[in-house]
Amino acid sequence: MAMAAPGQLNLNESPSWGSRSVDCFEKLEQIGEGTYGQVYMAREIKTGEIVALKKIRMDNEREGFPITAIREIKILKKLHHENVIKLKEIVTSPGPEKDEQGRPDGNKYKGGIYMVFEYMDHDLTGLADRPAMRFSVPQIKCYMKQLLTGLHYCHVNQVLHRDIKGSNLLIDNEGNLKLADFGLARSFSNDHNANLTNRVITLWYRPPELLLGTTKYGPAVDMWSVGCIFAELLHGKPIFPGKDEPEQLNKIFELCGAPDEVIWPGVSKIPWYNNFKPTRPMKRRLKEVFRHFDRHALELLERMLTLDPSQRISAKDALDAEYFWTDPLPCDPKSLPKYESSHEFQTKKKRQQQRQHEETAKRQKLQHPQQHARLPPIQQSGQAHAQMRPGPNQPIHGSQPPVAAGPSHHYGKPRGPSGGPGRYPPSGNPGGGYHPNRGGQGGGGGYNSGPYPSQGRGAPYGSTSIPSGGPRGGGGSGYGVGGPNYSQSGPYGSSAAGRGSNMMGGNRNQQYGWQQ
Amino acid sequence: MLAAGELTGLDNRPEPTQVEPTTPRVLTILSFVLEKLVDRNESIVEVLSHQQQQLDGLSCGGPGQVGKSLNAFHGVRAPSISIGKYLERLYKYTYCSPSCFVVGYVYIDRLMHKHPDSLVVSLSVHRLLITSVMVASKMLDDMHYNNAFYARVGGVSNTELNRLELELLFLLDFGVTVSSRVFESYCLHLEKEMMLNGACQRIERAIAVDDVTEISVEDTQTSSLSSQID
Repeated sequence: MAMAAPGQLNLNESPSWGSRSVDCFEKLEQIGEGTYGQVYMAREIKTGEIVALKKIRMDNEREGFPITAIREIKILKKLHHENVIKLKEIVTSPGPEKDEQGRPDGNKYKGGIYMVFEYMDHDLTGLADRPAMRFSVPQIKCYMKQLLTGLHYCHVNQVLHRDIKGSNLLIDNEGNLKLADFGLARSFSNDHNANLTNRVITLWYRPPELLLGTTKYGPAVDMWSVGCIFAELLHGKPIFPGKDEPEQLNKIFELCGAPDEVIWPGVSKIPWYNNFKPTRPMKRRLKEVFRHFDRHALELLERMLTLDPSQRISAKDALDAEYFWTDPLPCDPKSLPKYESSHEFQTKKKRQQQRQHEETAKRQKLQHPQQHARLPPIQQSGQAHAQMRPGPNQPIHGSQPPVAAGPSHHYGKPRGPSGGPGRYPPSGNPGGGYHPNRGGQGGGGGYNSGPYPSQGRGAPYGSTSIPSGGPRGGGGSGYGVGGPNYSQSGPYGSSAAGRGSNMMGGNRNQQYGWQQ
Repeated sequence: MLAAGELTGLDNRPEPTQVEPTTPRVLTILSFVLEKLVDRNESIVEVLSHQQQQLDGLSCGGPGQVGKSLNAFHGVRAPSISIGKYLERLYKYTYCSPSCFVVGYVYIDRLMHKHPDSLVVSLSVHRLLITSVMVASKMLDDMHYNNAFYARVGGVSNTELNRLELELLFLLDFGVTVSSRVFESYCLHLEKEMMLNGACQRIERAIAVDDVTEISVEDTQTSSLSSQID
């Protein structure tokens, strides 16, 4: 494992970032919508290499360079690992005329700044959402091992990812898995004395300690998310799909039991424990609910979904778990099937989305009639879940032909983990193709309700006669404040004006229109 | 590691209504060090004036050439406000933590090492300061004013400050991390500079840097803000 002393990495690397123009690349197509801008697939003209260009939105002049982008860049600059997305360089685009919306502006530097990443074909959620997709056991072990290896590397280098979820795990056609979207990541110290915000990690993957309001936490928060992903891979669907914080905690308690001072010493001192503590005793039912899982898988899952973060398994120990060292062993990434990637940018306009899906379905019908006789691409959510569960009799890996399906990469696109059809059965959508309710946007986005105590959105220095520095476009932002900005409001106000909120489950709300 | 107990400077910070804030010692020291540096560089510039002209001739790298030299920070003429007064102004209006000035100095020092032929002179020192302190505050402080506000405090346009911010970030290759070890060594360095001149002053280690904690004293004292931390 590549290990390096924290703070001593790459002191002399890439001395000339930003010196090249985006014109060195030929944009091929838009493949996603990142936290702070569009993502394009592009070809470097000189070398022909395919890359992903992530545009940093600079349209909020009052805020300047988005702080989330600064953080992501500074962190990715020091992380170099085969399971962490590689930031190749930063390029600039000349001229003010390149504003995508075509708005006139006086800022010459609005031409644009792009982060150049290695190109990845899929993300884990997109891949799992493909119709007819079933992961084999060695394949799941292979992805989990890579996820843990990459995360261990981050943790060794004092970086918390803080947004581990399927759509942030990119996968290429060599079977390599890489952690991406470090827009919420930060460095941490081992003493755990720092006060960190608990408003991170997409709701479904957020650990109980954050939901209970702790501000002192460490790498264990990422390990909870890993546990959720692991269970999701085995189970075929998300295990804690809460729609708000109380429901999220409740779902966790229902499966993992309610915490008390015995199983989680100190839990009663966590800020909001008393607001959220369950009114009735709840027993841990993890083993019972997932009794059909492989014994070693269940053992590992138990240790990942441990309520007390101090007892939760670390990435390093997880890699040593029996699960990864018993038959069937994790397969070699290169032996994994290659999935054809499609690059249609999934627009938010549901009509367009529907048309795309229909075309896709048609294509698939033509190409793989047999498969779809067994597993129709649409409305087979129930079946798909069952089918996704790898069983001993599903040795599909290595033999599956490339499947044309919807886009399966997001580069941190602000969406829930669903992405595809057939994964989250809509409550009533029997014959209706692609759930017309789904593409609907919540509109406001952001997070503006919930059980959290007042978070102090007011200007901390009262009404001094100074210009208000509120983030632009408060309409999209639950964090719109006057006066000073909170540095962590990045994904909301300071950079993207209400889009790409991958904190607080806001993206899910957007995706499903739960709120509003 | 920075001691949590040494939170001077922030505790005594007056209300905004008061006219004269207590100036943290870091401002005095920093202004002293920078004045000295600028004076020295000005004399070098005189000697090398023709060379400087050549450098100026290469200036104004447009977009696409960001991060090549410090020329973007050169004003047409030196501002009349002294470095010391300018630092005080920044501190007074932006409420950034004193540590931002140390980290801002770290950034300027990094620039000087990367571009040894670009000298920090009276034409550039103010713009370097406003930009580096602003970026430092963005990185360190849980609450910080936006670029538009810093521009007004610093006496530059919003557009120019955004441009300077980009320049700084690219010049630093986005190396904006300052570990607590580096932070402490710069504090010691600045203190030593003062001591060499007979004044013994210690810098407030008010805020720990980056990999330690990013919460400032105000946050914990102002209950409604206590959760707005990174």
